Formats: sequence, C-alpha cells, structure tokens
Amino acid sequence: MISCTEFILAYNELFKYIEERGGREGLEDFWTRISDEFLFNLDELVRTKGIKGMEEYWGHTLTEEVANARIYADDKEFRIEMDECPSVKRINESGIKKCSSYCYHCDTLYKRVIEKYGFIYNLDIIDADKGVCCVKVRKID
Amino acid sequence: MKYLHKDFHGSLSCGFSYVTEKYGVEGFQEYCKEVARNVYSSLSEKIKESGLKAIEEHWNNIFTLEEGDFALYYEGPVLVLEVKECPAIAHMKKRGYKIAENFCEHTKLVNEELCRIAGYHSSCDYNQEKGTCIQRFWK
Repeated sequence: MISCTEFILAYNELFKYIEERGGREGLEDFWTRISDEFLFNLDELVRTKGIKGMEEYWGHTLTEEVANARIYADDKEFRIEMDECPSVKRINESGIKKCSSYCYHCDTLYKRVIEKYGFIYNLDIIDADKGVCCVKVRKID
Repeated sequence: MKYLHKDFHGSLSCGFSYVTEKYGVEGFQEYCKEVARNVYSSLSEKIKESGLKAIEEHWNNIFTLEEGDFALYYEGPVLVLEVKECPAIAHMKKRGYKIAENFCEHTKLVNEELCRIAGYHSSCDYNQEKGTCIQRFWK
C-alpha cells in the first residue's frame, strides 16, 4: 500500500508518467477525470453551501495536510493565500524532480467544479518552486 | 497536528484506473516500477543496509500511522505482513470512492521492484473485496 503520506510523491510520478506520453494535453485529460470522478464531495459542498462549502472543504483538507496557508471568506469572495504548499514542500524535501506542470492541476481540478455554480475561479501561481500561490473565487453578480 | 489526509487514497485509485485504461496493464506495471525506483529508492537502500528489519520498520510505521489492523512476524527467514483491514480500502469504502479494479495489484508490483533493487524477493496475496492481504519478504 502506498501510504497517503507518500501519495504526493506517487502522484507527482503519475503526472510525469502521463506528461512524458501525452504532454500537457494528456495531463489536462487526466486532471479532468480526477475532477469529475473524485471531487464529488467538493461538488456537493459548493452546490449546496456555496462559499461556506468551499470554506468547509479546504478548512478540512488544508488542516489534514498541515498547510501553511490562510483562508478568507465573505459573502462574495473566497480566497486561499498559500505561503508554502504542503505538496510542493514534500516533493522539494524528497529531492525528487517535480513535474514541470505540477501546480496547474489545482487550476483544472477545482475550476471545473466551482465555475459550474456561478463563481469565477482564479489561480495565481506566484512561485511554483516554493509552492506560493493564491486562489481567488468570486461570486458572479 | 499530524500529516494524514486519507482521501488521497481515493485520488490515487482514480489514477490507477486512468493509467490502466489509457496505457494498458503494461503501462500500469511500468508506472508502479517508476514509483518503486523513485519514491522508494531510500527504502531499497535501507534494505540493502539493514535487511528485513528495514521493511519491518517501514510497514510498522505506515500501518500504525494509518491505523490499519495488521500483524508483522517472522516465519523462519521470511518476514510476513498480515493486513487484516487495509486502511486504504476501508477509507475508500467509507467515503464512497470508486476503487480501481487493480488497486491492490500496486502493492504487489511496487514491493517486487523495490525488493528486487535491494536483492530481496516479495509476494502479496490479496483479497481486495475484503481489504486483506498477506505480504511476504525474503532474501
């Protein structure tokens, strides 16, 4: 069993494996599959609770991943300010080569779910090497 | 706060299904070997240095952290890991995640490759439906 504590490294290998064979297009296809088949919990939370659901989802996942991040939420906007992505940190600490498109999986996975429900999702990758980014979600008026 | 996000098992399972569909059984096998060679290279090195003790320590740490029901013991020169309730299968069932048809096969393939690199052998007899397996390791 690949432990969930080793998952990020195995996931990174999976990205590299797919990218070598299918390029970025192949990765986008894979991320779309993950978004559609795996993120049904996020889908349900956003569909039923909107921004509150996003707060609930990332409040839980980022706590379990011991992320160095801040979450802000009000009626119209949800924001994650990530100072050090726990996934990027794990890969950097391992010394294993990171998939060059690694950070972009968050864009495809989450945008696809969230924008279905009247929001605009934007991921600003500030420093992919250090895992610094900002996710902004705004409700469409 | 310990780092433990068990939903990752579901995501990896989805990845196994995808790779198998897109690149066939051989592609899945190759991916598992890549994982063994890159992710578990330090474990292979430890096995070369400390033998079965390194594998025993690895599984004891992992299954304790993930709160699996397991036993580790020796049958003569063979290290046995008996998994009575796999935490990955149990979590995916609990959360309703789709479990790849070949999910448990990854354990067999990754073990075989990381042991081969270290000059050891392994076997894994699993029952995916029940979430149980018996893994054996020997020189």
